[in-house]
Amino acid sequence: MTAAIRAEGLLQRFGAVVAVGPLDLELRAGERLAVLGGNGAGKTTLLRLLATAARPARGRLELLGLDAGRQRERLRARLGYVGHQLGVYPALTAMENLEFFATLHGLGRADAAAAVELVGLASLAGRRVEQLSRGQHQRLALGRAVLHRPELLVLDEPDASLDSEGRSLLGQLFDGRTVVMATHDSALARQVCDRALLLRAGRAAGDPWSLRVVKT
Amino acid sequence: MVAARREDIAVRFLNVVYAVARKDLRAELRGRELLPALAQFVVLALVIANFAFDLDLVSGPRLSPGILWLVLVFAGLVVFGRAFAAEKESGSLEAMLLTPAGPAAIFAGKALAAAALLVACEALLLPAMAVFLGSPISAAVVVTVLVATAGMASLGSLFAALAAQTRARELLLPVLALPIWVPFVIVGGKAVQVAMSGQSLTALPLSSQPLVVMADFDILFLVVASLAARFVLDD
Amino acid sequence: MTEPEDRRLYALTALALAGMLVAAGMIFLYAPQDALQGPVQRIFYLHVNSAIAAYICFGMVVAGGVAYLWKESVRGDRLARAAATVGLVFTTNAFVMGMIWAKPIWNWDPSKTWDARVTSTAVLWVVYAGYLLVRRFATPGRPAMRLAAVVGIVGFVDVPVVHFSVQWWRTLHPGPVIDAAGGPALPPEMLLAFMVTMVAVLLLAGTLVAIRYRIEARRDELEDRAVAAQLELAASHGSR
Repeated sequence: MTAAIRAEGLLQRFGAVVAVGPLDLELRAGERLAVLGGNGAGKTTLLRLLATAARPARGRLELLGLDAGRQRERLRARLGYVGHQLGVYPALTAMENLEFFATLHGLGRADAAAAVELVGLASLAGRRVEQLSRGQHQRLALGRAVLHRPELLVLDEPDASLDSEGRSLLGQLFDGRTVVMATHDSALARQVCDRALLLRAGRAAGDPWSLRVVKT
Repeated sequence: MVAARREDIAVRFLNVVYAVARKDLRAELRGRELLPALAQFVVLALVIANFAFDLDLVSGPRLSPGILWLVLVFAGLVVFGRAFAAEKESGSLEAMLLTPAGPAAIFAGKALAAAALLVACEALLLPAMAVFLGSPISAAVVVTVLVATAGMASLGSLFAALAAQTRARELLLPVLALPIWVPFVIVGGKAVQVAMSGQSLTALPLSSQPLVVMADFDILFLVVASLAARFVLDD
Repeated sequence: MTEPEDRRLYALTALALAGMLVAAGMIFLYAPQDALQGPVQRIFYLHVNSAIAAYICFGMVVAGGVAYLWKESVRGDRLARAAATVGLVFTTNAFVMGMIWAKPIWNWDPSKTWDARVTSTAVLWVVYAGYLLVRRFATPGRPAMRLAAVVGIVGFVDVPVVHFSVQWWRTLHPGPVIDAAGGPALPPEMLLAFMVTMVAVLLLAGTLVAIRYRIEARRDELEDRAVAAQLELAASHGSR
């Protein structure tokens, strides 16, 4: 099976400072990886590399079988990313946001409507984002990320403001997808992910280990 | 998978441009921050000009071309600066780039919206100048300003996008944009001056007519900006 | 990096300095005094050649930028970095000398001073300054290199456009064109002094760029070593 993510010697630096790497990583399709680590450990930098939001200084990165450096346009149609800043427009309504991103993906209103339904914001679709709570805001960002039915999801601390309902939403969204999620919450990681990788000062502290998935 | 036809690509490109421009304008109109701020800026600038230059019935019209371009340049810095600053902060610029839409189309949409906002500012500035400074605003003046706006928008937006990615956006945008806008100020300034003083430049050959020269600049800078956009927006 | 390179640079520097001394001799001792403008006209030799050197440096900035954007050539970017600083110095020099020259000739009358060359040189200066500022304030690494390259290339397109605009403007306001030597053609002695100075200045500019290139190469190397050291340190601490 093609690996969903294959990274070899992945390294990102800013001047003389190494932010993350060198890192080797392999993730199979459908696997869900939690990236753990303290502040400044390099989680955000790593996730940005995996989302093709930034290019690594060194190393090879293959996503969904495609070269992350050369096939970015194709890749971006198949992956979804939510960073620290959620990437939605405060002055527009939830629905307008989703419709806008749907157009960018070459999709239509129906897809936007499906996404708003999926993240449980249908009743607030006409509300401006600046009037939404932070948790609702976060859901909208997730809706934006799954709008185009991507195979790979890269999420930077998506749980930061989600309530328990929101967290079960995460589990739903992860279904059938390959996921890389940065989080501070190891309990959540155990709940929704299969493996965990600990970053310390940009490097992997050990191999990604298997999380015991507690099924109820 | 069938390769996309050229018409499809063009249609998708235009769809994105339109969607991005519409989104920007909608956000500005809803936010109601920029247009009132620009209106205030225009009025204040004219008040200051009036007292700083000690304007009267003679000097008002005579100094009008200069005042027009000064106010336009500074308003432009504000409008183009904002176009990208807010996006960068909310992470939405990145969100847009991480779609198949493509940096060129996204850039074009934003430049178009910013140009429209600058035109809105001009729609306020020109009548205000006629009223407060006694400037003779004619159709020729309006057309000149519009042609210049098109050119200023393409590179102004490019550098605004660039500056937004640095630590010193407010310092860099003027330093980068003003040299680029100098040709428009020179040619446009002369064109407005001529129009306002009732002279004519019909003696010049067509290729040297100010509007034609500025249109040439517009095309040149549009091409340059579209080629450079993807290097500025995307890593 | 190694001894022979050091020696070559020293030799080049010595040659450049010698060249400048010869040029100085030519300018002050050999070239005749201008009939119309007097001794102040001697600024022309260094002024015009500084401008030429500045534009050539700018060409290198652009070439380096294109090399980076097209081929991801870090060496190209390094050349651009090196040439930009040197170019800025020569532009400043050309501009200041021009202003000094303009004072006794035109008394700094703005309607005469701001001709096509002065204006485009001023714009060139701001573009260079912008280039260096972008390098400093952008995220180090890829972003700084790519954004600076764009500034260099767009600026390169802009400067002739500015020049053209002012010339266009001048066709409506004909003013006295600054006469380089006060006559329709340069007398042969002045021409010789000019050519010698040009060679000397270009040699000096080339030397300065070579030295700066070396400095930038060393800087890059030090950075790479710091990174390697960090990586080794982390590796030896047991984390893989």
